[in-house]
Amino acid sequence: MSDAEKGGFIAKVIGPKRRWREYKARVRQLPPNYRTAVDAIERYLMQFVPNDGDSNASMFEDLADLFEQAAADGTPIREIVGEDPVEFVEAFVQNYSEGGYVPTRERKRLTDAIARAEEERLR
Amino acid sequence: MKRYSVGKQATEMLKGVLEGIVLAILSGRPAYGYEITAWLRNQGFSDIAEGTVYALLVRIEQRGLVDVEKVPSGKGPPRKVYSLNTQGREYLEEFWRNWSFLVERLEQLHEGGK
Repeated sequence: MSDAEKGGFIAKVIGPKRRWREYKARVRQLPPNYRTAVDAIERYLMQFVPNDGDSNASMFEDLADLFEQAAADGTPIREIVGEDPVEFVEAFVQNYSEGGYVPTRERKRLTDAIARAEEERLR
Repeated sequence: MKRYSVGKQATEMLKGVLEGIVLAILSGRPAYGYEITAWLRNQGFSDIAEGTVYALLVRIEQRGLVDVEKVPSGKGPPRKVYSLNTQGREYLEEFWRNWSFLVERLEQLHEGGK
């Protein structure tokens, strides 16, 4: 899929198109196996619900930083992502605008509902 | 230095205190991510992933506990060098207080269980 086709989606979900293109260009410069790893992580990150474009752009830029530096140091892929890549990605995504699978409004709904339930007991 | 390779349980325990460990390392001197990971691996925490340390550094930077300087590196992009700031030092002191509390209580439990 080209950037043009994904334009609307990217603009909403990943933030400014230019930053996304720059990120993609950086990833293309990586050695092939590092690129494969970043592509896989990128695909997984897409499963999380983003809530602000800037923060999401920063997330992908930071991901590129990590892999560029690791490639320069010759760090093996396994030492970058660890034995459990899912755990790494989930710790990573938490740093960006409350990254999660669940939309922020749903988390708020749960928090508020529990608070109301607690108050009911006190009445 | 005594080399000791830790198991899965120790790795799980380490996760909870990794933030404190990284801040403690940075209280000695500024460092970049790879150095911190290498230090931990050298201490026997061989399972620690560079990405895990990196994610943690991103987090402590966002929380304003460290100052960051971009330093050109011979190979690859500039490295982000992290140093502990005043807020970070206060946070580290709090970490050590909590650590002492935890160790004391666990020791009591350990002694009591004998």
